Amino acid sequence: MENLFNIDFKRIPSFNDKEAAEREKNFELFLKRGFPNKKDENWKFSDLNYIIRKNFKNITNNDDYKFDEKIELINDFDHNKIILINGSLESCDLQFEESGKVTIESLKTFEGFYDKIKNNLDYLNKALSTGGFNLEVQKDYKCKKPIIIYNYFTVNLDNKIINNSNKIKLSQNSELTIIDYNIGGKSKFIKNTFEKINIDKGAVLKNIVLQKTKSDGYFYRNISGTQDYNSSYQNFILSSGLKFNKIEIDMNLAKEKSSCYILSGLNLSKEEHQEIKTQINHLAPNCKSYQKIKNVLESDSNGVYQGKIFVKDVAQKTDAYQLSKALILNDKAEFNAKPELEIYADDVKCSHGSTSGSIDADAIHYLMTRGIELRTAKKLLIKGFLNEIFDNIPEEKIRTFLEKSIAIQIDEIR
Amino acid sequence: MKSEELNNQDYKYGFTTEIENFKAPKGLSEKTIRFISEIKKEPKWMLDWRLKAFNRLKVLKEPNWQKPKYPKINYQDFYYYSAPKSMKDKPKSLDEVDPKLIETYNKLGIPLNEQKRLSGVAVDAVFDSVSVATTFKGELDKKGIIFCPISEAIQKHPDLVKKYLGSVIPLSDHYFATLNSAVFTDGSFVYIPPNTRCPMELSTYFRINASETGQFERTLIIADKGSYVSYLEGCTAPMRDENQLHAANVELVALDDAEIKYSTVQNWYPGDKDGVGGIYNFVTKRGACRGKNSKISWTQVETGSAITWKYPSCILQGDNSVGEFYSIAITNNHQKADTGTKMIHLGKNTKSKIISKGISAGQADNTYRGLVDIGAKAKNSRNYTQCDSLLMGNKCGAHTVPYIRNKNSSSTVEHEATTSKINEDQLFYCNQRGLNQEEAVSLIVNGFCKEVLQQLPMEFAVEAQKLVSISLEGSVG
Repeated sequence: MENLFNIDFKRIPSFNDKEAAEREKNFELFLKRGFPNKKDENWKFSDLNYIIRKNFKNITNNDDYKFDEKIELINDFDHNKIILINGSLESCDLQFEESGKVTIESLKTFEGFYDKIKNNLDYLNKALSTGGFNLEVQKDYKCKKPIIIYNYFTVNLDNKIINNSNKIKLSQNSELTIIDYNIGGKSKFIKNTFEKINIDKGAVLKNIVLQKTKSDGYFYRNISGTQDYNSSYQNFILSSGLKFNKIEIDMNLAKEKSSCYILSGLNLSKEEHQEIKTQINHLAPNCKSYQKIKNVLESDSNGVYQGKIFVKDVAQKTDAYQLSKALILNDKAEFNAKPELEIYADDVKCSHGSTSGSIDADAIHYLMTRGIELRTAKKLLIKGFLNEIFDNIPEEKIRTFLEKSIAIQIDEIR
Repeated sequence: MKSEELNNQDYKYGFTTEIENFKAPKGLSEKTIRFISEIKKEPKWMLDWRLKAFNRLKVLKEPNWQKPKYPKINYQDFYYYSAPKSMKDKPKSLDEVDPKLIETYNKLGIPLNEQKRLSGVAVDAVFDSVSVATTFKGELDKKGIIFCPISEAIQKHPDLVKKYLGSVIPLSDHYFATLNSAVFTDGSFVYIPPNTRCPMELSTYFRINASETGQFERTLIIADKGSYVSYLEGCTAPMRDENQLHAANVELVALDDAEIKYSTVQNWYPGDKDGVGGIYNFVTKRGACRGKNSKISWTQVETGSAITWKYPSCILQGDNSVGEFYSIAITNNHQKADTGTKMIHLGKNTKSKIISKGISAGQADNTYRGLVDIGAKAKNSRNYTQCDSLLMGNKCGAHTVPYIRNKNSSSTVEHEATTSKINEDQLFYCNQRGLNQEEAVSLIVNGFCKEVLQQLPMEFAVEAQKLVSISLEGSVG
């Protein structure tokens, strides 16, 4: 493990002596167990230790946040902007919102030292975290436009690791749509992010994760959250294009009538490995959760879905649904699923389904008899397969933009 | 000894048969293994095999990933061999039997008279560590079918045993399987010669009687090319406050065009209402569809045991082979079950089907855990999985943990699962037509299980249907 890392705590911008001991302690705790491997049930299908060792050596922590390229903004719809460079808050522009209603600040020092540790990567994050942002929406304020987080990564990140942590809080009856837009250079780096989400009574948070171009990034993102009465959380995962990506969502539906939606449409190509792992805890009656995970797997890609629905004994009238579907286009591709139910209440409606297979030959035949050539027919079916995910996005402009982004990806399928 | 006679003697299910026992020294050691091997007059290769397993066992650790946790088992606290001193001994009295259990079996209506009806079934009866008798041997011999206790097969058919024993469940597979390999005492051996259809159902009846014993039986079934066999397994144990371990290994081998149908009605003592006592049923069952167009079908009705922990599996090696798994697992009171199957697709055009029905009542926990693995070479393979859970009350749990792996673009895997409670409307409808609450629940549950029950051979289906109703008694209201 020593050879794998070349860490210098002094490179952390906000580093001070007070933190030093804590950071070093956490790092030692991390080194004790290292990156999780397939012996760990949660990492059964994604052996991170193997993947990291195969691709990295001499991992250092990043201290470079200089960025002088032109930032290409999305012109398809009006939006507020937050710009992150290598995971660190660079600037923000909330021009469409009333002042004081939405606040964002940079988290320079890492406050989360004493939080409960979630897994071994959490130790690593706590040891090396360079902070992140803290976003808050005030009571009764419904954001007029979505916020796009431009997540830029510079080109000199080879063998570097970025650790950051963010916090999002939506106060009572507020509403916000966040689009995470990742733009990466050609360097090979690791990103380890921990996020905390707090959704108060009646608030609605929508989060869309999108990757602009293909990237050699190895991403891990851990989202944990709590939802209050009648709140709603919707997450759309469209992060195709990363070499490795694991998104772990741990959501507590703590009060009645809260709902959680996780929808994903991924199109994985050569040497790509993505995992979505969810744990939805139904802790109160009358909550709803809905998960739909769709994967298109090309070449030697690897798609994983591990979903768990937990229903506590008091959580009667729970309505929980899990669906994972995979289209396997190549014999080298692999899809693994573990849709899990753990249920202790009897008056519930819980179901899951999982299918994987190739494109329906009959459908291809049908299209070809109508004069559409094979490649186009395939793409048409894949498009239909993935686009279903967007049905749940009401804003037409955003939907069109997402459909466009996906269409570009599908176009690359041979 | 004919099956009817047997049933009149030792098989009254829930009670203890007071028999003078001949036991191995307590505890697990090389000495015990040598003792077992010696008493069975085994050849040296068999003893060596056992000792190899025992050496392996020393480095293996007991698995702990399962959902139902149990107190640490002290393996030195069991007798690994226990047999009635004389098999002619008759049970001394029925008075010692808990009236509740007698009542249960009277309700079932199976033990005495009705078993006579099963004269078309050949039975191998295993009592603690020895096989007591095997019926219809003569008739089967005529067809060249071998159906005998495995200890006899080791003596008489060493070539077959050597070739196939441990070929599906290797010596070092996992803790309990290896334990079984080291100390197994008896069980059934079946060999069906090529192009033979076994004319009757073969059946083994397992019985744990002595206290402080574990039962470690081993079953090996080989269906040679083009043959067919249907095999039934039944089991009961007396009520005791202690937990007894039952760690069996069952290996099935189906060669080209052969079919094995393996049915289990598991009715070990489940422990009392407060979860005291009962059998730990930690069984390894695995079948290999080795030949082309072969088929293995597992059907299980799991109503007993304090903890049921088993995954009857199919390794689909041969092209066009088929694996099936039909299961009902009922847990009531403090019972726990963690059961399911593994379908490992290796050959081309292999098909598998999994139908699992789990029912939890009382404070029970019921887990379906299964694996469907489609290998890269298993072109055009197909799996369909359906697991439904029924919950009665909010003190019990129903869990589904399917593992689905697909490495092939021409194969299709489908999985669906639901969890629900008994529909109020259905109950109301039944009540309205004069059925009381319990009858209504029993009817609905039987309907819920129908897909699995209809897979059972006729003789078992009746018994199983009644068991389903009885297992859930007292769980309504």
